[in-house]
Amino acid sequence: MKRLLRDPIGTAAALVLLAAVALALLAPFIAPTDPADNDLSLAMQPPGAGLPLGADDQGRDLVTRVLFGLRLTLLVGAVSVGAGGAIGVALGLVAAFQRRLDAPVMRSMDVLLSFPAILFGLALAGILGPGVPAVTVALSIATVPLMARIARAAAGVEMGRDYIEAARATGAGNARLILRHLLPNCATALLVFATLRFGQVILLGAALSFLGLGAQAPAAELGAMASQGRNFLFFAPHIAVIPCAVIVVVVLACNVLGDSLRDALDPQSTGRRP
Amino acid sequence: MKRLKLAAALAVSALLSTPPPPARAQMAPPGTLVLLRTIDADNYDPARSTARSAGEALTFLGDTLTSLDWDMKTVRPGLATSWTVSPDGKLYTFKLREDVTFCDGRRMTADDVVYTIKRFVDPATRSPVRWRAGPVKDVRAIDPATVEYELTDPYNELPLQLSLFFLSIVDKTSVETLGANFGIQGFNGTGPFCWVSWTPRQEMVMRRHEGYTWGPPIFNNPAPQVDRVIWRVIPDANTILAAIQSGQGDATQYMPPIALPSLRNTPGVTLSNQPNYFWDYFVGFKVDKPAVNDPVLRRAMVMAVNREAIAKAVWFGAATPSDSYLNPAVLDFDPKSRAEFPAFDPAAARKLLDEAGWTPGPDGIRAKAGERASFTLYGIADTLNNRAVEAIQADLKRIGVEMRVQMWDATVAWGKLATQEFGAFIMSYPYVSASEALNLYFPSTSAPTPNRMNWKNDQTDAWLKQARMATDPAVKQEALASVQRQLTEASVWIPLVREQLWVVSGRRAHGVRAHGIYGMGIYKGLDITLTP
Repeated sequence: MKRLLRDPIGTAAALVLLAAVALALLAPFIAPTDPADNDLSLAMQPPGAGLPLGADDQGRDLVTRVLFGLRLTLLVGAVSVGAGGAIGVALGLVAAFQRRLDAPVMRSMDVLLSFPAILFGLALAGILGPGVPAVTVALSIATVPLMARIARAAAGVEMGRDYIEAARATGAGNARLILRHLLPNCATALLVFATLRFGQVILLGAALSFLGLGAQAPAAELGAMASQGRNFLFFAPHIAVIPCAVIVVVVLACNVLGDSLRDALDPQSTGRRP
Repeated sequence: MKRLKLAAALAVSALLSTPPPPARAQMAPPGTLVLLRTIDADNYDPARSTARSAGEALTFLGDTLTSLDWDMKTVRPGLATSWTVSPDGKLYTFKLREDVTFCDGRRMTADDVVYTIKRFVDPATRSPVRWRAGPVKDVRAIDPATVEYELTDPYNELPLQLSLFFLSIVDKTSVETLGANFGIQGFNGTGPFCWVSWTPRQEMVMRRHEGYTWGPPIFNNPAPQVDRVIWRVIPDANTILAAIQSGQGDATQYMPPIALPSLRNTPGVTLSNQPNYFWDYFVGFKVDKPAVNDPVLRRAMVMAVNREAIAKAVWFGAATPSDSYLNPAVLDFDPKSRAEFPAFDPAAARKLLDEAGWTPGPDGIRAKAGERASFTLYGIADTLNNRAVEAIQADLKRIGVEMRVQMWDATVAWGKLATQEFGAFIMSYPYVSASEALNLYFPSTSAPTPNRMNWKNDQTDAWLKQARMATDPAVKQEALASVQRQLTEASVWIPLVREQLWVVSGRRAHGVRAHGIYGMGIYKGLDITLTP
């Protein structure tokens, strides 16, 4: 943590993410209006007095829409990385620990890896209907093989270390070995990857919503907002530009934080960027 | 600030737009009229396609027995110079032009008309709009220039329906030679232009039909004025705007509504409007589904939707708010039903619901006898539909009604709209008369689709049948008026807006006039000329 705080760019990225999470959590309390409240007479109003970010094509306050959009976008990201990550890590650790399961599990992951997340999104939207649940499930599934690979690689290195043999010699069971010894020692790599993946998932979620597969009206979601604003790009650019800018800032913060975490948690790193 | 906005717009545009195919970058060639549209048809067989995009090309490639004047009411000659109807309304006799040839040079005769009609009504052809030909008993050629069209029951709108592209006269040899590929690999018609090539989802190319002089009398020129026509597909309406401004296209009816106000003042751009244009948007209720089966709730919803604000914000003024089920300019419109149509008044809507026992719950949504005022709306996802339903959703929420929205991609939407899964749907449709519109949607036999409302009413059925078969125009008008009043009273739909037709043409094209038959802005293109 101290090493992370010594990196000003990493600290700034962490603060940006914290601010985004805080704004998202507090959206119902700090948003000026209800996100579904419209006033068609204000449709496409540019930013100005009374409407600091302007209004969208339905005459809804964009400050409110961005706050609630951020909330849904971050929620989709967190649930997808959380659920997909948990399953992926479990599979990766099992593959590393049980050699006979290694090939079947990892080849299954290879199969999953060969499908683009957008394809999962399309397929699930066809089955479940377009909406946030379909997007979340699709992104979770797309996260599983990536996390499994990272976990498998990290655990593979740890499995050869003496402390694993020592723990086994003291009579530790498989569950204890995995949960108490293997997992904590893989956590660094997993945390760094999860941070980077969080940014990717936000981008993918926004892309799926942009394609109309994600949040449905009147829910606010940054990708869906950008998609809606695209139709008025030459006439009211703020409707698309503002949610796009928020996505860029959040994803950039995730990526920078991931890099900084990697540097900070790498014992061989000097803490300096190249 | 303006520069910053422009830079931001361009940057995001670059990120969001799909790269244009090379064809779009070409300038319109000399002597070739380039018409732009957003969507292609799946085929160009007039009997097998109901798409407006098929009709756009087929009115250029083919001709019909009758034509429709710019007032959208008066039926004019087409391939038939005149026609008579027997006193019982069951026998029409058409006299045909004798100077008409197909694109391959063969003379068109009464046998071609007989073949076309018989093929159209043949169940094997599986035409989805077979009803438009009426209850055909027999069609026969009396001589090469006379056709008798016999019906089992009177069908007073036959001449009107025969003006639509579905009954374009086809060439038997071409149909039989091409088989299932008729209208895909070729089409030998009698229209002002002939088929050259079709690249699906990209463009259709046509050449002038040499010797064509039999255009309908509604045009100044009975012959085509340009050598070639290209119907080019550009899926993104914003790109169409750029294409017209840069001279890559000559005319379109698919301009985004938001661009129309600024185009009115753009030098070199001409806009043509058709005031008698019948393409309406509405929300229909399934009258036997929970919550929306209550006519009081439906009436309150009609009163709660601010159609004027929607027309301004969603269509940017390129639509007229509806205050009746049908366009007042259409044949057999009933003005009394318009006077009875509930006005926009959300306060009165709330009062109506209060009095009917629909009381607001803790979440603001009303309920009555344990049933929430909540339902799901289905629709086809597109920019206008999506934006309209969001505005309606907000209006209904203000009176305590929850409308959940599920918009579907066009590839699955029609299947979804044929189910009983939803309580309401949004739809838009073209029509040429009150009889056609009401007979399409409201007969009991049309449920579950296109009568997605499940409106099954014996009185409606009787009036509609009377309207179809009446030989006295006054009887027909009264029957249709009764249906319009009944539907207004029952609030089966929320009529939303009547779309306006604006055809935009660029610097090179002259004489472009919006027509509007079956929603088509450019009809046959006979008066269009190009600046060299």
